[in-house]
Amino acid sequence: MPKKKNPPEEKISEQLPRLLAAIEASGWAVNPRPKNALLQSIVEAAGRIFGAAAASILLVNEQERLLEFKVAYGASDHDLVGTKFPLDKGIAGYVLMTGQPMAISNVRQDPRFNQDFARSTGYIPTSIMATPLLAGEHVIGVMEVLDKIDAASFGMQDMALLGLFANQAALAIEQSQQMDQIRETLVLGLKRLVSADPSQPLAELLAVLQKGLDDQQVVSDLLALADAFNEISALGELERKACLQILKTFAEYRRSARRLHA
Amino acid sequence: MTENANLPAWSEQFIEQAIQQLTASGPIADLTPQWAWGGSTGKGVRVAVVDSGVEHDHPALDDCVCGGVVVEYDEAAENNVRIEPDERPSDFAGHGTACAGIIHSIAPQAEIYSVRVLGKDLHGRAIQFAAGLEWATEHAMQVVNLSLSTSKEEYFGLFHDLADQAYFKNVNLVSAVNNNPAPSYPSMYSSVISVAAHAGHDPFVYYYNPSPPVEFGAPGIDVEVAWNNKQYVTSTGNSLAAPHIAGIVALIRAKHPGLTPFQVKTVLLSCAANMHRERKSNTKGTKDHKAGKDP
Repeated sequence: MPKKKNPPEEKISEQLPRLLAAIEASGWAVNPRPKNALLQSIVEAAGRIFGAAAASILLVNEQERLLEFKVAYGASDHDLVGTKFPLDKGIAGYVLMTGQPMAISNVRQDPRFNQDFARSTGYIPTSIMATPLLAGEHVIGVMEVLDKIDAASFGMQDMALLGLFANQAALAIEQSQQMDQIRETLVLGLKRLVSADPSQPLAELLAVLQKGLDDQQVVSDLLALADAFNEISALGELERKACLQILKTFAEYRRSARRLHA
Repeated sequence: MTENANLPAWSEQFIEQAIQQLTASGPIADLTPQWAWGGSTGKGVRVAVVDSGVEHDHPALDDCVCGGVVVEYDEAAENNVRIEPDERPSDFAGHGTACAGIIHSIAPQAEIYSVRVLGKDLHGRAIQFAAGLEWATEHAMQVVNLSLSTSKEEYFGLFHDLADQAYFKNVNLVSAVNNNPAPSYPSMYSSVISVAAHAGHDPFVYYYNPSPPVEFGAPGIDVEVAWNNKQYVTSTGNSLAAPHIAGIVALIRAKHPGLTPFQVKTVLLSCAANMHRERKSNTKGTKDHKAGKDP
């Protein structure tokens, strides 16, 4: 006969499935990912402002090590979205790897060669401008616009302007990725709690929740600590690691102090 | 937007109104373009292009590509990089071919070596770049074109050390400054020749900026260049300015094999288009740089 749960535990286990569903739902609701609506509007705005025949955003798919078209606007003879290609291909690949924006125009083949260059790719642009999407120091993707309708090429002014759109897009992507991570971590943590020993972990969770409610000072201190750590980690990897090392050393020192005084 | 918005970052020093007129006197004033590179073809000088590769059989390169290496990121390898010989180099992006084409157009008899440091693994880029630079320094290159850079602070020390090694081994590093207005290594070091773009199109007209870190301005806006897949394109960026200077350095080093990197920089400074000479003949200005003619 299973051990009878005490009332608060029962309450939580009843609520957990609902909680999980709510987290899932809110994740999808606030996340631009399902329809990439925000990215789509950024790409469209960029395409129209530059008077470009086409514009698109490509993101790095870390697992597959590929670049993937996330959103696209304008001329193309087939649906680009979802199309993937190797990181070391073309101008998008170069911009991705160097983090440098690039504009080229007047693309033409050496007349001494008569290859059917790029015929199979469908749309062949004559001018391209591509800029990196930067999350801190990391390049997470590339934004590109093709073929300015009323001009032969993209200028440096266009490049600066595209950089502003790229910043917006990168922020939107970064936030949505962070949201994904938080959601996944929460759901994973809660699922672990549900699947483990039904009495023990719930009691722990309850204790944490109860303690949190009881002791507002602890909560605000923890939040302040998280805030400070977040601020430091935004300074860069070295700062984050140094901060972590200091905290670890301090914790170790406190542990050993407790052992000595026990 | 202002006129400056049409230029890559760091190029503001090289718009017409901003170029500072300089004066050379004494023996420095005798270093003229004619003396420096007149009649030189860059013959025998080894120039490495550290980039996306070089399309060795591009018609614009006339078989000047003599070989090279591919530097791949490999977690299992020592120092996380694997260097493979690349006798018939290719170029996945076109950018390295553009740089090689510019160098070849200025120094037609220089030997160009492709050092491909960009590949599928994004995380290893700075390490590949560093390994490629080290390879070039250790394989008797006299000039290395670096039209790429890293802005990662943690690589400041490593690249500084590599730039010093190159300097002590008599290798001229010619480095494009980042198009984004951010620190970029190795272009910020005093031992390298750092280059940004100006809007001119005469390959031999370059300027010296007496307020570094960016020291030289060379053509880099709407430049006709060779590209991969046997193409030509019109392209813009500081990364196209660097190979103009790399080509001129190749000419100087072919004509004056004994010069050291700091002497080469002095020659470059003296032959800059904004340098006026106080010579016995009292000739002012250096308008005609083409083919190293004296004013």
